[in-house]
Amino acid sequence: MDHDCIIKKSDLILITGANGYIGSRVFKTLIGYGFTRIRCFVRSSRGSSQMQRVGDTSQAEVEFIEGNLLSRDDCLRAVDGVSVIYHLAAGIGKSFPDCFLNSVVTTRNLIESAIQGHNLKRFLNTSSIAVYSNVKIPHGGLLDETCDIDTKFVERCEAYTYGKAKQDEIVLEYGHKNNLPYVIVRPGVVFGPGKAKITDRIGTDTFGVFLHLGLKNRIPLTFVDNCAEAIVLAGLKKGVDGQVFNIIDDDLPTSRDFLKLYKQKVRRFFSIPIPYPVWFCFCALWEKYSQWSEGQLPPVFNRRNCEVYWKRINYSNKKAKELLGWQPKVPMQEALNIFFDYMKDEEDKKK
Amino acid sequence: MIQVGIIGCGKMADCHAFQIQRITGAEIVAVCDKEPLMARDIAERFRIRDYFSSAEDMLSSAKLDIVHITTPPPSHYTLAKLCIEAGSNVYLEKPFTLNTSEAVRLINLATERNLKIIAGHNAQFTPAMVRMRELVRDGYLGGNPIHMECHYCYDFGDENYAKVLLGDKDHWVRKLPGSLLQNIISHGISKIAEFLVGDNPEVIALCFTSTFLKNIGENDIIDEVRVIIKDENSTTAYFTFSSQIKPVPHQLRLYGRKNSLIVDDDHQILIREDNREYKSYARYFIPPFIYASQNIGNFAKNFKGFLKKEFYTANDFALKTLIESFYLSVSRKEPLPISYREILLTSRIMDAIFQQMGQSINDYRK
Repeated sequence: MDHDCIIKKSDLILITGANGYIGSRVFKTLIGYGFTRIRCFVRSSRGSSQMQRVGDTSQAEVEFIEGNLLSRDDCLRAVDGVSVIYHLAAGIGKSFPDCFLNSVVTTRNLIESAIQGHNLKRFLNTSSIAVYSNVKIPHGGLLDETCDIDTKFVERCEAYTYGKAKQDEIVLEYGHKNNLPYVIVRPGVVFGPGKAKITDRIGTDTFGVFLHLGLKNRIPLTFVDNCAEAIVLAGLKKGVDGQVFNIIDDDLPTSRDFLKLYKQKVRRFFSIPIPYPVWFCFCALWEKYSQWSEGQLPPVFNRRNCEVYWKRINYSNKKAKELLGWQPKVPMQEALNIFFDYMKDEEDKKK
Repeated sequence: MIQVGIIGCGKMADCHAFQIQRITGAEIVAVCDKEPLMARDIAERFRIRDYFSSAEDMLSSAKLDIVHITTPPPSHYTLAKLCIEAGSNVYLEKPFTLNTSEAVRLINLATERNLKIIAGHNAQFTPAMVRMRELVRDGYLGGNPIHMECHYCYDFGDENYAKVLLGDKDHWVRKLPGSLLQNIISHGISKIAEFLVGDNPEVIALCFTSTFLKNIGENDIIDEVRVIIKDENSTTAYFTFSSQIKPVPHQLRLYGRKNSLIVDDDHQILIREDNREYKSYARYFIPPFIYASQNIGNFAKNFKGFLKKEFYTANDFALKTLIESFYLSVSRKEPLPISYREILLTSRIMDAIFQQMGQSINDYRK
C-alpha cells in the first residue's frame, strides 16, 4: 500500500460523520494502517469515547471537532490543512428537503472550503448503490459502475437516495469545474454489528406480517468492516481520481438463504414468500392508487423501486478489486455469523 | 388564478407546496430560500417557474397575491413585513412571531394595507376539530366551555427532530425565547384561545426539564410544562406539554354546562359526553355501549373520508383546509378562518408561559 498511497502516514486526514456506523470503522481502519493524524468531524461527540480510546492506544494524534457542515465556518475549521477527506456524513431524514440539505448543501460547503486550500489530494465521497436505475437491466443482468444513474427519485419516493444522487452530482460538478480530486464509492447494503435491521431487500413487515421478497435474488451485501476497508483504500490509492467504485462483498447469499439462516440463528417468525411478478403488480396498483388519490397514500411502493430493490440482477465488485486491490477480508459466511450473533444478542436484550 | 410564492424551502415548504398544488385556482409561481440550492431543488421537484435566493428579488419580480413564509421563526416578522409592504397577503407558519409585540405590528400593518395575514395553526382544522366546532356552534355544550383540558405533547423518540436538536447546541430552536416550546405549543394553545373571552387571561405555568433530558446531560431545554389559564368570564383551562407521556397525546376536552366533548386528534375521534343519568346498573351497561357506537361512527367517518380520497393524514387535511379557507377569505373577502384576536391571544398566553419559564430556569440555575 505504502508505495501507491497518495499521502504520507503523517498527513492529516479528515473524516466527516466519524462517529457514525461506517465512519467509526473507517477511523479504526486508518489507525490500523498506521496513519497518525486524524481529524474526526462530528455533530456531537457523544459516543466518541471508544474512538478516543482507540486513538490513545495507537499513539495517533486524534482530534474531534464538533460542528455542523451547514456552517461555512465549521467547514473551514474542519478542512484546514487536510490532505484527504473521507466524507461520510449524510442526511438521514425522511423528507426530500432534509436529505437534500444535509447531503447536498453540506457537501457543497465542505468542497468549497476544501478547494480554498492547497493540500487536498483526495475527496472521497460516499454514495449508495441504490442510486442506479435498474429499469434497463434485464432479469439476470449485471449492475456495475457503467450502469445509468436513476433520475426519478421523486417517483421512487426515496428521499435518502435522492439526496445521495444529488450529492454525487455536486461532487462531479466540482470535479469538472474546479478539478476536485474526487473518488465516489457506492456501497451496497452495509450490514454488521451496530445495525440491528434486516434490509428491505429481504422483505418488509409494513403490513404486520413479514413479506419475504426477493426469494432467489442475491442481496448486494457488504460487511461493515469490509466496506470500511474499501472506502479507506479508495481514499488513498494512486491513480483512481474521478473513479466510481461499487462496494459489494463476494459470495452474496440469496434472500431465501439469508432469511433461512436468520430464522435458524436469531429468531423464528412467520413470513409469506411473495414472487417478484406478484409484488411488481402490487407496487403498480399502489402507484396507480396513489396517483388517483392525489397522494392520499404516498407512492412508497412503486414499480421503479420494485425494480431497484427486488428485480433479480447480479452485482460486480471487479473494479474495486482490480483498481483498489481490495479484497473483502471477512468472508461472507463469517460476516453473516458475526451479524446473526449480534442480532441474537439484541433480540435477547429485548426479552 | 391566485399567484402564490413561498419563502423558506425546507420541509414545511414541501408540505405547503403539495397542498397548494391540490387547490383549484392557485398556482405557485415562485419560491425563495437564502440557500439557492434549496430554492432550485423545490422548484425542480414541484415544477415551479422561478426561484430566488432573495425575498426582495422574488417580491419585485412578480405581483404575488399570497406568500407563504415557512422559515424558522426568528425571520417571521421581518419577512412578513416585507411581503405586506410589497402588497402580498401572508400565510405565516407557526409560531406566528417571536412575541406579541411583533404580532400586533404585523396585524396592524396588514389591516392598514387592506391585506390579510394568517397564522399556520392548521391543527385547528383536522376533521375531528372541524366537527367539534360545528357541535359547539350548534349549542351542544350549552354555551361556551366552563373548562378545557388540552394535551399537546411531543415525542423525543422522533429521531428526525430530536437527534438534530439535541445534537446541535446552536440549533435555531434553542435560540427562540421559548426554545423548544415556542416551536411546538402554539397549536395546543390556540385550541384553548379559541374559546377564551377577553384579551388578558391569567396564566400560571410550571416549567421544568424532564428527568430523561437531565439524564442525558441536557439541562438547557424545558420539555415539561403544566399551565393553568383563567379568562375574564372565569372560563378555565389546563394545558399540558410533555415529552415523556406515552402514547403521545394530542387531545382537547371541552367541559360545558349541558354536555362535554373529547377530541382525540391523533386518531381523529370525537366523543360526545351526553349529560344523561341512567338508573341503577343501567349506568354501567348503556354508556359503554353508547361510547362503542360513537367509536364505530368515528371509524366509519374516517374510512368514508379515506374512500372518497378526502382524508389524507389529519395534518395534511388540516393544512389544505386552512390554506383553502385563507385563499377564499382573500379572494372573496370572506372572514379569516382564524381571527386576529385568536392569533394575538395565543401569542399573549405563550409570552406569559415563556416569561415564567425564564424564571424557572433562573431558579434552577441558582
